[in-house]
Amino acid sequence: MGAPPSSQPFISPPPSSQPFMGPPSSRPFGGPPSSQPFGGPPSSQPFAGPRASQPFSVPPASQPFTGPLASQPFAGPPAAQPLSGLPASSQPFSGLPASQPFSGVPASQPFSGLPAPQPFSGVPASQPFSGLPASRPFSGLPASQPFSGLPASQPYMAPPTPFPGPPTSSSPFGTPSWQSPAQQGMPPMPGTTQAPPRMFGMPPHTPGQTMAPVPPVMGHSPLAGHQVSTQSKIDPNQIPRPVSSTSVPLFETRQGNQANIPPPATSDFIVKDNGNCSPRLMRCTMNQIPCTGDLLSTSSMPLALMVQPFALPHPSEEPIQVVDFGESGPLRCSRCKGYMNPFMRFVDQGRQFVCNLCGFTNETPRDYYCNLGPDGRRRDADERPELCRGTVEFVATKEYMVRDPMPAVFFFVIDVSMNAIQTGATAAACTAINQALADLPEGPRTMVGIATFDSSIHFYNLKRASQQPLMLIVPDIQDVYTPLHTDLIVPLTECRQNLEQLLDGIPNMFENNRVAESAFGAAIKAAFLAMKPTGGKLLVFQSVLPSVGIGSLFSREAEGRTNVSSGDKEAHKLLQPGDKTLKTMAIEFAEYQVCVDIFLTTQTFVDIASISVVPRTTGGQVYYYYPFSVLSDPAKLYNDLRWNISRPQGFEAVMRIRCSQGLQVQEYSGNFCKRIPTDIDLPAIDCDKTIMVTFKHDDKFQEGSECAFQCALLYTTVYGQRRIRIINLSLPCTSMLSNLFRSADLDSQFTCFLKQAANGIPASPLSQVREQITNLCINILCSYRKFCATVSSSGQLILPEALKLLPLYTLALVKSIGLRNDGRLDDRSYWVSRSASLSIPMAFPLVYPRMISIHDLASKEDDGSLLSATIPLSSEHINDDGIYLLENGEDGLIYVGNMVNPDTVQRIFGVSSVDGIPTQLVLQHFDNDLSKKLNDVVDETRRQRCSYLRLRLCRKGDPSGLFFLSYMVEDKIPGGLSYVEFLVQVHRQIQTKMA
Amino acid sequence: MSEFLDLESQDGVRMTWNIFPGTKQDAVGCVIPTAAMYTPLKPIPNTPVLPYAPLRCRMCRSILNPFSIVDYIAKIWICPFCFQRNHFPPHYSSISEDNLPAELFPQYTTIEYESTPDTGPAVPPVFLFVVDTCMIEEEIGFLKSALAQAVELLPERSLVGLITFGTYVQVHELGFGQVPKSYVFKGSKEVTKEQILEQMCFFTRKPKPSVGVIAGSRDGLSAESIARFLLPASECEFVLDSLLEELQKDPWPVPADQRASRCTSTALSIAASLLGVCVPGSGARIMAFVGGPSTEGPGSIASKNLSEPIRSHKDLDKGSAPLYNKAVKFYEGLSKQLVHQGHVLDLFACALDQVGVAELKVAVERSGGIVVLAESFGHSVFKDSLRHIFQSSDYDLGLSFNGIFEVSCSKDVKVQGIIGPCASLDKKGPVCSETVIGQGNTSAWKMCGLDKKTSLCLVFDIARKDGPEAIGQPTSNQFYFQFLTYYQHNDGHMRLRATTLSRRWVAGPGSIQDLLAGFDQEAAAAVMARVVSFKMEMEADFDPIRWLDRSLIRLCSKFGDYQKESPSSFSLSPRLSIFPQFMFHLRRSQFVQVFNNSPDETAYYRMILNRENVANSVVMIQPSLISYSFHSVPEPALLDVTAIAADRILLLDSYFTVVVFHGASIAQWRNAGYQNQAEHQTFAQLLQAPRDDADAIIKERFPVPRLVICDQYGSQARFLLAKLNPSVTYNSDNPPPPGGDVIFTDDVSFQVFLDHLQRLAVQ
Repeated sequence: MGAPPSSQPFISPPPSSQPFMGPPSSRPFGGPPSSQPFGGPPSSQPFAGPRASQPFSVPPASQPFTGPLASQPFAGPPAAQPLSGLPASSQPFSGLPASQPFSGVPASQPFSGLPAPQPFSGVPASQPFSGLPASRPFSGLPASQPFSGLPASQPYMAPPTPFPGPPTSSSPFGTPSWQSPAQQGMPPMPGTTQAPPRMFGMPPHTPGQTMAPVPPVMGHSPLAGHQVSTQSKIDPNQIPRPVSSTSVPLFETRQGNQANIPPPATSDFIVKDNGNCSPRLMRCTMNQIPCTGDLLSTSSMPLALMVQPFALPHPSEEPIQVVDFGESGPLRCSRCKGYMNPFMRFVDQGRQFVCNLCGFTNETPRDYYCNLGPDGRRRDADERPELCRGTVEFVATKEYMVRDPMPAVFFFVIDVSMNAIQTGATAAACTAINQALADLPEGPRTMVGIATFDSSIHFYNLKRASQQPLMLIVPDIQDVYTPLHTDLIVPLTECRQNLEQLLDGIPNMFENNRVAESAFGAAIKAAFLAMKPTGGKLLVFQSVLPSVGIGSLFSREAEGRTNVSSGDKEAHKLLQPGDKTLKTMAIEFAEYQVCVDIFLTTQTFVDIASISVVPRTTGGQVYYYYPFSVLSDPAKLYNDLRWNISRPQGFEAVMRIRCSQGLQVQEYSGNFCKRIPTDIDLPAIDCDKTIMVTFKHDDKFQEGSECAFQCALLYTTVYGQRRIRIINLSLPCTSMLSNLFRSADLDSQFTCFLKQAANGIPASPLSQVREQITNLCINILCSYRKFCATVSSSGQLILPEALKLLPLYTLALVKSIGLRNDGRLDDRSYWVSRSASLSIPMAFPLVYPRMISIHDLASKEDDGSLLSATIPLSSEHINDDGIYLLENGEDGLIYVGNMVNPDTVQRIFGVSSVDGIPTQLVLQHFDNDLSKKLNDVVDETRRQRCSYLRLRLCRKGDPSGLFFLSYMVEDKIPGGLSYVEFLVQVHRQIQTKMA
Repeated sequence: MSEFLDLESQDGVRMTWNIFPGTKQDAVGCVIPTAAMYTPLKPIPNTPVLPYAPLRCRMCRSILNPFSIVDYIAKIWICPFCFQRNHFPPHYSSISEDNLPAELFPQYTTIEYESTPDTGPAVPPVFLFVVDTCMIEEEIGFLKSALAQAVELLPERSLVGLITFGTYVQVHELGFGQVPKSYVFKGSKEVTKEQILEQMCFFTRKPKPSVGVIAGSRDGLSAESIARFLLPASECEFVLDSLLEELQKDPWPVPADQRASRCTSTALSIAASLLGVCVPGSGARIMAFVGGPSTEGPGSIASKNLSEPIRSHKDLDKGSAPLYNKAVKFYEGLSKQLVHQGHVLDLFACALDQVGVAELKVAVERSGGIVVLAESFGHSVFKDSLRHIFQSSDYDLGLSFNGIFEVSCSKDVKVQGIIGPCASLDKKGPVCSETVIGQGNTSAWKMCGLDKKTSLCLVFDIARKDGPEAIGQPTSNQFYFQFLTYYQHNDGHMRLRATTLSRRWVAGPGSIQDLLAGFDQEAAAAVMARVVSFKMEMEADFDPIRWLDRSLIRLCSKFGDYQKESPSSFSLSPRLSIFPQFMFHLRRSQFVQVFNNSPDETAYYRMILNRENVANSVVMIQPSLISYSFHSVPEPALLDVTAIAADRILLLDSYFTVVVFHGASIAQWRNAGYQNQAEHQTFAQLLQAPRDDADAIIKERFPVPRLVICDQYGSQARFLLAKLNPSVTYNSDNPPPPGGDVIFTDDVSFQVFLDHLQRLAVQ
């Protein structure tokens, strides 16, 4: 990191290391080069106002984005700025009246200040869609172009050509096309950026600079003079809050043979893969690996990887290269079977290579032999992607197949029980499928099937040339079977008409259905049996509690309510699956490569805790539309479905993480099925799914050595090619705690907490989970306080710069739907199931949603960064004359105060009074600036989140208004602390521990 | 003989002994059981149909009949069975000797009552087709066209349903307008009626009654939900046609070394349950079209592995047919269900291989179903038989439903049981004998399906003991019988046919001549055939040849004229003279010599035998042979190999097969085309005559017999030779006359048989 390009920065204790060793002097580690970039050494005063940014204003390379970029808001100087007045060291909140440092700059300023817009300026945000008004796509469901327009989808649909080609070809998913939307679309994510922007703001090439920015000890802010009582001294406006930036920096994964610390996951950046993978694909909770397990446990931080193997790349990034080793298959270490990667060391003139994972010395195969250059690298290293890129794909040979690669099979199963019909859910599902057919991968290998069910299961024989489909009913829902051997799953090209006609007809066919029962378990089992020979995706549209047949459930919610009085102790059991049958079934599904996605369009309790087991085990996911509204939900349903089938994805995948000797995988967590300890089976894997892998030490590392992680994902593309995606990450090892804290990755750590909390919810009482999460946070901070921070005053709350937002997010997590006491069972279960596979960028909005004001949109500059002007989640910032949009990646709440200017209401909603706004909100387009901008904002958000926001109107004074306010996590609520109070509590507990 | 035929034409009854042996011992001594062959629905011209309900004896429930003693003054009638005195009800008040109601007319011993309108409207008959699809395309094609034709011929108002099966069972919901829809059941699993009720959503709109659900509209099943599966023929013709049109071979793959997976039993069970749910107690037929052995489900008869052959008689004898008993047990269960519901199972088994008729027999026979066995669905035996069922013509089968048959007898006569297409209703009564044969131990039987020719064989037991009390009442040496048949006439209304008979009994020494005078040889042969078939099926280690021989010998010993130990003195009265010949042919027939046939064929022959009347039974036992030649008009010929001559045409009617056999010369002439020449018109006529007669036989017979046209020395000639008395064999001393034939067999000829009989009878 910090060191100059020379290769072994850390090995000998170079001078640079010193700084860390001692209790940090206030000065960061002034390793020589380091200071430079920031020019101003620590002393450089808190940010000198807006101008401060300039110094950083990086050189030409970054230009387009550059500028003021990230840093601007706070313009601040190095690290801790928001908090700290001073650069590196502790001062920030401390002694001085907290307010001071900032005083110059009112919080709001930062935003106002700079021209964030520039970077994008070239391309107006809306452009990508330029063809059509950006807004259109989302508007009505039916519109053929759901999200944003075509471009997004196209890439994937694009004919297979890119793939077939040998290595040369570009990334599998045809990034390019994704680009367009992304480009403009990706302005920084506001809500989340926590880290000091400059870090990545740095121009990549300035050598040596890199390290500098991060002072070992981040601003420790004097939170409290002394005891708790000090609350009054805390200025709520100056406590750490996420900051957004609008710049798009270029991030080189390695420089000078050193791993670079990645930019925040929620921000926008372009990755240049120099040997380590893009942080989007794989990201570690700490960017330096502790040499020993003791060091790790001292830090209290988790050691885990967040692996999102199909994460969408930035459009400007180089696509992942495909390498074909011919018949021999990819080159692997003969002992640990690790795949060839840039960190394998060639020795003995290149005749042998040493595995970076297990240390074994392998013979280089003759046809892979190449001379070494003077620097010890192979001369062809830069020509061979597997030797110079962190991420490559190998073409799999026969050895990697137990059968021919499976076709892309999509089987739709639709609930047609009385409730589903009457609520319009069936019709919505049919319409959605009908339209989404166009987005299925083209080609003869795309197969479809369809079934409906109530208390029996109805299959349809689609292969009847020019005849009506034949309906075949399986009435036995205890012992199900497929009614036909063939013809239930048919190539789309052969049955499109039939299928469309059938989908049109289904709602009518069951119009008078009086069967209220639902045989969900039996239906998926039967559909599975039909898919058994091939595997594939099973998309289930379910509307009521499964009440009959295999895996039927009963309404535990009622039971739960009556038991509440008997104590909360057992309440969490209702969040565990009620029945083992579904789990057993799901394991069988996974074995035959069937992935189940469930769309719950319901108005009642459906026991997500039990149902979600199936998608979780099979690599699928749950979509939840509650309470289902035929007015506002079909659009989301359609867009979700469309994205589901058109996003980058792979089938029949197996994934394994290998790591250097010294570490071993402790656990995998996410949506998959695990049958053997080392591998996880993923019937399907897509760009939205993240898998968390935790590690533990089984040996020591040498200081200065590197620890490598390699994720190998064997999968089949939607076009039927078998591939192995190899994702490598090599990180330096350190024996210094301060290094750990400096290189800590808040994004990954917080996501890790989120997933741990989600895992804990069904297992233990809520209060306990909350306590655990709070303790995780406290322990880390306490460790930092104890071993790394200069003790200037015991009254100071000192936060490591990298983790300064940890308390805020911890608080938000504790107050999130999953951990709140008052949530519905299903809401909580859904939260749990969603968290299990959630990616880092989506984890933040889930707990700390993004809120922006919309009544004043028109007055804001249309600079592509409308979304960046986020408002802290505190009711102080909500005015009665304002309208606000709060968005958590899935739902959008529009809050309307009771004093809003009727004209504004008219312009946005097309009605004259607040009371006239329909509760089931469908955002309209009106011919005025405000409405346009609002639609732009919403579309932009949709694009960013790859999700169609389900909008809901919240009115002050209504229950819906209270619902909105429940998202104000910084507020004090009954049984929950305000942000300031929480900081105080954290501080106090640290003090207690220290004592 | 003719007097017996007269009696038959009046009442549809033929009895082995028309003068009864008066005591138990006498009866035993008579060897041939005292039995009656009764054809309940035999069309009897001039039988009145009374539009009112019958008068019943308040003691024994028998019906007022011409044998009742009526006191016109007191308006009282005395029941001839129990001697109970019954008052006439008020509407009979005008009765007098000159003003008799029809049921008291002496000639109306058989009479019908038709239900009055208040018993409900006419019920339409129900036809549920159960169609096998595990066949080669060609067979499916044949079957499709046959079914399509049948659908056209269905009575307009009858209800129709369709089930197809192969690996799975598909119940087609004909009433679902929007797309073709069917319920699919797994073939390997039994489905109960309760499951049908639940799984096919019969009670979705109403709560299911918690107790005692038999279903049907009485239990609250809406007409609507029944109409999903059973539709009036007139309404569903189009749907049915298009479904049949699309009927395809079962799509599940069949490995080359395996039999198709065919779940006949499950399909039938589902069909039965469906009818049980929809129309219990109302006339309905399951018509099963099966094209191969069942290999799946509880009634499977063969394993899927082709290397294991389908069971033969030998396997059954040795007990090495493991599936057989299980299957039979299953079908016994099914037959109980069908009988309980009053539904019929018809079986059309068309395959070169066996399909399991032997196992299915119990269900078909107990429910009174029709059975047709043919080699192919393209064969005329099947096609014409199916058409015959629906085509109303002179030979209309008069299919009727839902019959109940009851017997009343004088107190000294008991009923051992009935051998025939019916099922015991387990109604115990004084009329039940302790000895049981066939469906016994009851005084009432269910006949779910019956037609004009259905004939029952009732076996009686004479309970009267020889003793002093017998002398006490010499006046009443009459036995009375009353047969009551309730049934759903094919016009949809319920009817009751009552046949009341009286027979004299004789007892004691000197009664032999009387007995002999009343002996009906043909009826006796028919009864013996049924009894021996029954015993062969029911009694392990039963030796039919020995049993028949001993019976014949004892009969001859008792009734023959001879001097002891002098075979040459032996002679038989004309009343008995042809009986030995019947027995000779019965011993050689397919009923006894089963080893030439598959178990399916045997079962088939016996099922037909058990439902046919005396005349047809006799044809089965001893086929009729007619000879056509230039020398004489067509004349009956002896069923003997000597009947064969080069210049003759023989017409053999063995009931199941009709053979036209051309002598060698005739064949040559025919091959030379003489019949086409004007000057040889007589030859053309000669050729045509047996064909016309054969056609006449075929036309009236059901199932349609197989027509074999063959030439002397041709391979097909075996159909004739097998039936002939082998009086001339390859090792006979006397060679056949020129143009005659020999039979290659070691079987004894009739002459040898008779010689032995005489020798043994006189011992």
